[in-house]
Amino acid sequence: MFTNGSKLLIGATVAAVVAAVMYGVTQDGALGTIGLVSAAIVLAFLAGVTIAIRDGNVPPGDEMALATCAAAQRAPGASIWPLAGALGAALVVVGLVVHEALVMVGVAVIIAAVAEWAVQSWSERATADEHVNDEIRERMASPLELPVLAAVGLGLLIFAFSRVMLTLTKSGTVVVFSVVAALVLAVAGIIASRKQLSSGTVAGVCSIAVVAVLASGLVAGVQGPREIEEHETTGDLAASGRCGVEETEADEKASQTVSAKSNVSATVILREDGTLVAVQPGISGESTSLTLPRSNPNNILFRNETPEERRLVVDAGPIADTEETRVLCTALVEEGGVQLLTVVFDKPSFAVEEPMQLTVPGVETAVMPVVVP
Amino acid sequence: MTSPARRRLTAAALAAGGLLLAGCASDAPQDTWQPEGPNAQKIHNLQWPVFAIAGVVGIAVFVTVAIVIIRFRDRGQPIPEQTHGNPALEIGLTILPAIILAGIAVPTVATVFALAETDDTECTINVTGQQWWWEYDYPVAEDGTICGGYTPSNGEAASPIITSGQLVIPTGTKVLLRGTSRDVIHSYWIPALNGKRDMVPGRVHYLRLEADQPGIYAGQCTEFCGLSHANMRMEAVALDEADFQAWLDNELEAYTPPEEGTLAAEGEAVYIQQCARCHQVNGLTDPASGELVVSAPDQYVWSGAAPNLTNLMTRNTFAGATWDLLTESCRDDVWNASPEEFGAKYLEGVTEECLNQVDLREWLRNAPAKKPMYAEPEQLTETDGKYRGMPYLALSEEQIDQLVAYLLERK
Repeated sequence: MFTNGSKLLIGATVAAVVAAVMYGVTQDGALGTIGLVSAAIVLAFLAGVTIAIRDGNVPPGDEMALATCAAAQRAPGASIWPLAGALGAALVVVGLVVHEALVMVGVAVIIAAVAEWAVQSWSERATADEHVNDEIRERMASPLELPVLAAVGLGLLIFAFSRVMLTLTKSGTVVVFSVVAALVLAVAGIIASRKQLSSGTVAGVCSIAVVAVLASGLVAGVQGPREIEEHETTGDLAASGRCGVEETEADEKASQTVSAKSNVSATVILREDGTLVAVQPGISGESTSLTLPRSNPNNILFRNETPEERRLVVDAGPIADTEETRVLCTALVEEGGVQLLTVVFDKPSFAVEEPMQLTVPGVETAVMPVVVP
Repeated sequence: MTSPARRRLTAAALAAGGLLLAGCASDAPQDTWQPEGPNAQKIHNLQWPVFAIAGVVGIAVFVTVAIVIIRFRDRGQPIPEQTHGNPALEIGLTILPAIILAGIAVPTVATVFALAETDDTECTINVTGQQWWWEYDYPVAEDGTICGGYTPSNGEAASPIITSGQLVIPTGTKVLLRGTSRDVIHSYWIPALNGKRDMVPGRVHYLRLEADQPGIYAGQCTEFCGLSHANMRMEAVALDEADFQAWLDNELEAYTPPEEGTLAAEGEAVYIQQCARCHQVNGLTDPASGELVVSAPDQYVWSGAAPNLTNLMTRNTFAGATWDLLTESCRDDVWNASPEEFGAKYLEGVTEECLNQVDLREWLRNAPAKKPMYAEPEQLTETDGKYRGMPYLALSEEQIDQLVAYLLERK
């Protein structure tokens, strides 16, 4: 059963296993053991191969074996896929050290290479006719290749496009892409107006455009994104205790969603006379106090009808699991402006010492008690 | 007819007959065809003609298909002459459904707008859903009244009422529920009083309710909301003006501690030790310290709330209105009472003779075993260790006796 070549490899496998055990027992560190175990696995694999092909030897008198042995078969065509698979393996190894994204790319490359290699190997021997084999290969692989390649290509284009957008200044973005859009329209118009145009020309123009976008994206990616100004949110203001009358800047649109604004528990209005009133959807008239559920995010809109810039402050009582109290506020709101505040009351009113209320710093008359049942 | 074919026909006939007879069930409190208020009546007025039209169309289609199948079945005859297109028929079969749909759309849109009306609200109640029960709070309006004009009979200032399980409303009053949710999306539905309304966290939704007659109207959550969705039920209790006033007065009454030395007094101590972490009893003070006992469900429960038990024995149900606090005969007595007698029977609450001790004790013994809830420690990793539902409290039988005695006085 065992051929001469396989015996040599089996012996080497056993030696590697013994060495691995010996090393693992006697030496500190796993690297040597891993190397020896890896060697044993490779040697075992080679031993199996040599057994399977009987060392590649065929008895001279055995005509049947001579006709069917591996050496008598037509050699497979050159293939790029083993190389691609090796590249994928290298990416996996490098990715383990550098970044997990590379591992994912490597695994994807290996899967693609194995699939392509398998289809190629099978199709090359599907029939005795090479042309038919080529057709079979196309029929098998194209439905998979084309969508995947299209998706990858589009992804690259979009990614490159986004890098360019992030690198250019806000006004520069408008200018550049207005020009690009006009250019696309002009080229498309020229192509459409020509009665005859070779597919090669169209492909060439498209290729130039694709390369230009990818190259721009590469340059922009290296350049890095422009400096994007970060705005404080109303939550930042409250967290840093800046809920007084001082000038503070906060992005009025930060952390505020259309859906939250469209469906609020109450709209609290600071009247010109310095009073706070609440309008609650579903309840007719205005009220001077609010009843809100506990342990629930309540969306409150604050509208300032005074000429001065004002903010709404919510004293929401103790925070669950802590000794701290929750104070939230909007940014300064100009006359006629509206801002959203989302607040949670963790405790009921009867359980807190300090009143839970809405106030407006700088306007002593603007106080609205909040009742949390 | 062959024997297998006859058997199949018999089975189909039995199934159809069973379905037909199911419609005659008398104990069907969630029957959508029995409106008990003007909002549900609006829906009823719409669904009857739509159902009738759809029924006629359905029967016409089934009969036509049956005739075609039977009359033109393959009997070896030559293939008939093939024709393509029939403009008159095609235009007719396009226009006819369009006319039917347009005809249905007019009353449908009108009903939708009518049900969304809130300007004529007489009583506002907040409802909050959480896994797996509903909480109701009755806010005090700007004029110091509750639910459109009610104030405590003793002349004291009104304070918000908070309850759960059973929504109590005055009859003949346009009630507006302002609903939301504390955790996931739930849906509020009491078929006899109105249609369904989703309750979405962070949003406020509105649902009109109005009951013509005193009585209890059952419903249940209709948006899948987790493990015990099927056990998230609700009941609306409609009381006439005088009875509603009596209910309101009782809700606002000060806490009455149990008499010293009684089993209920021992139960109060167990309650403070075991239950008060999450459940609130308004006005309860710790006899040992003299301090007000304040629950902190926000520290233990994912939704941040647990049912208020101040007047548990006035509301006939517990655990998300899934089980009755009344024995079956006492429950039937209340549910089947005439509109004139209903209020008195309901306001009597749960008496010792009528207390459904079996379910209540099972619940106290091991709540997660009775109602599926995320209460096991290994199920709490995603909720920062907080429970969704009531946990197993490892109460002794003696403690359960004491708690039952204490809870029985909560009315």
